[in-house]
Amino acid sequence: MSPQMEPDLSVDIASVRLASPLIAASGTFGYGTEYVEVADYSAIGAIATKGLYLESREGCPPPRIWETPSGMLNAIGLQEIGVRRFIEEKMPRLRELAPAILVNICGSSLEEYGELAHILDSVEGVSGLEINISCPNVKQGGILFGCDPDLAARATEVVRNGTSLPVIPKLSPNVTDIAAIARRVESAGADAVSLINTIPAMAIDVETRRPRLANVVGGLSGPAIRPIAVRMVYQTAQAVGIPVIGIGGIGSAQDVLEFVIAGAAAVQIGTMNFVDPEVWTRTLEDLGDYCRRHQVASISELTGTLALEEEDS
Amino acid sequence: MYTAAQMKWDEIAVLVDRRLVSPDAVLLHFESSKLATHFVPGQFTMLRVPGDGSLLRRPYSFCGAEPEQGRFSLLVKVVGEGTRRLAELQLGQAVRCLGPLGSSFRPPQPKIRPIMVAGGVGIAPFVGFCQELARCRYRGTVLLGGRQAQDLYLKEDFERLGMTVRCTTEDGSWGPQGVVTDLLSELLDGGEPVCLYSCGPTGMLKRVSAMARDRGIPHQVSIERRMGCGMGCCLGCVVFTQIAGETNGQYRRTCTEGPVFDAEEICWERDPHPL
Repeated sequence: MSPQMEPDLSVDIASVRLASPLIAASGTFGYGTEYVEVADYSAIGAIATKGLYLESREGCPPPRIWETPSGMLNAIGLQEIGVRRFIEEKMPRLRELAPAILVNICGSSLEEYGELAHILDSVEGVSGLEINISCPNVKQGGILFGCDPDLAARATEVVRNGTSLPVIPKLSPNVTDIAAIARRVESAGADAVSLINTIPAMAIDVETRRPRLANVVGGLSGPAIRPIAVRMVYQTAQAVGIPVIGIGGIGSAQDVLEFVIAGAAAVQIGTMNFVDPEVWTRTLEDLGDYCRRHQVASISELTGTLALEEEDS
Repeated sequence: MYTAAQMKWDEIAVLVDRRLVSPDAVLLHFESSKLATHFVPGQFTMLRVPGDGSLLRRPYSFCGAEPEQGRFSLLVKVVGEGTRRLAELQLGQAVRCLGPLGSSFRPPQPKIRPIMVAGGVGIAPFVGFCQELARCRYRGTVLLGGRQAQDLYLKEDFERLGMTVRCTTEDGSWGPQGVVTDLLSELLDGGEPVCLYSCGPTGMLKRVSAMARDRGIPHQVSIERRMGCGMGCCLGCVVFTQIAGETNGQYRRTCTEGPVFDAEEICWERDPHPL
């Protein structure tokens, strides 16, 4: 490309074109409207909503969060308002704000996943469904679906049958072979996969010998988990033909590029938005600079371009 | 007074003055006209010191305001690495301050005497609040408790604002030996119509809440919780509440519905938080 040309930072995820490869990660951006005063939404490609069930949920007792080195431990337990209230109260404003909306759906049963897909299928402004089969902090559903290849595939299939929207299972890192699960959900009709959700983890106050979280175990996010996420995105991208969305401690263009080169078509930013709501604009600008410097016309050209040494022949 | 701030900014605030208020605490004055003129007493800001090893920002109550100079202050007690770095910030250095965040203290009804009950650094939000009370010609009482004399931060500032200040310490090194609720108990026995505002350790807040409830006295409480975002998204800072007319209670966010709550809405029995 010529140096004066603006690099194309848009990406395609299934049938959805995102103007920016940066997606707000579920559970870190509320119902999408909370950050409107301090984050530049034009730098955000899509917003993944807080995970939603059919009915509202109370969530885990506090304490719910604890900071660890370069990481944040949480056990929120999916406190949420239920899908109908979301559609009625949150969607009208979100529709105006968000360039694209991925509704994150959670089920305690396969039927619930199916019903959520059916309800959201006809809601104006929904761009796709992210299937939460990987929350470590709820007793039913969540990670149970994500750790079992059969259940992961069945949850995907049920959602696939309930909607014509793009379907994106969000995968758990708490598995032996993430690529195998990714292949199963791809066969079951997934249009893309997003990974990784938080890593089950815990911390203890040694003075009182109490767990730092009331739920005892929580999920770890933030830069601490990034290298694990990069590795899992790399393995998954090798295994599937559908787009991979990378998640895990991303807070800069450098971080985004690691995921993209490992095989991600787009990425999500979560914990690092808490630290700095300007992460969106700064990262997008820096991605543009990188593309110009490396004469890359479109960021999607970089997906899966890890340079490996040639084997000796 | 008391128009809740609607706007939020992530401001670069420059440290312009500092005052050592005790061997373990400093009052830091920052310049940011937006924050100084828009925060309402009781609200807070999320900040992180550059080069700090921690990841997340931490919440600090806005302390005093000098809106004409575009300045606000924060009271920082050194309790760990993050607060130490903040307290040692050099004049001219800047921190990003996200705010103003959360709810604020509502003013007393006419002819009702406001009583501020504070433990240790819980005094911080009452500086700005008493500035407003003084401006509106309220006469209030500040009850301040600490383990020892050096924990009675900023007591002279409240006297300068025309507030009646009474102090107590657990070791008896300043004022009568005891806890701040002892002072409150004596004062409430006087029978004057009052309303309560409290901020400090959870144990103290629970005792003040019980006293207010038993006597049917209005009580606003500012609570402190660990926070991830301060913006209402992470849901890490919740407290269990039940508001009048609500069938079941629910977890509400300290950063958004709080930090100032009507004390009667808080279900303390469901609050195991150690803070």
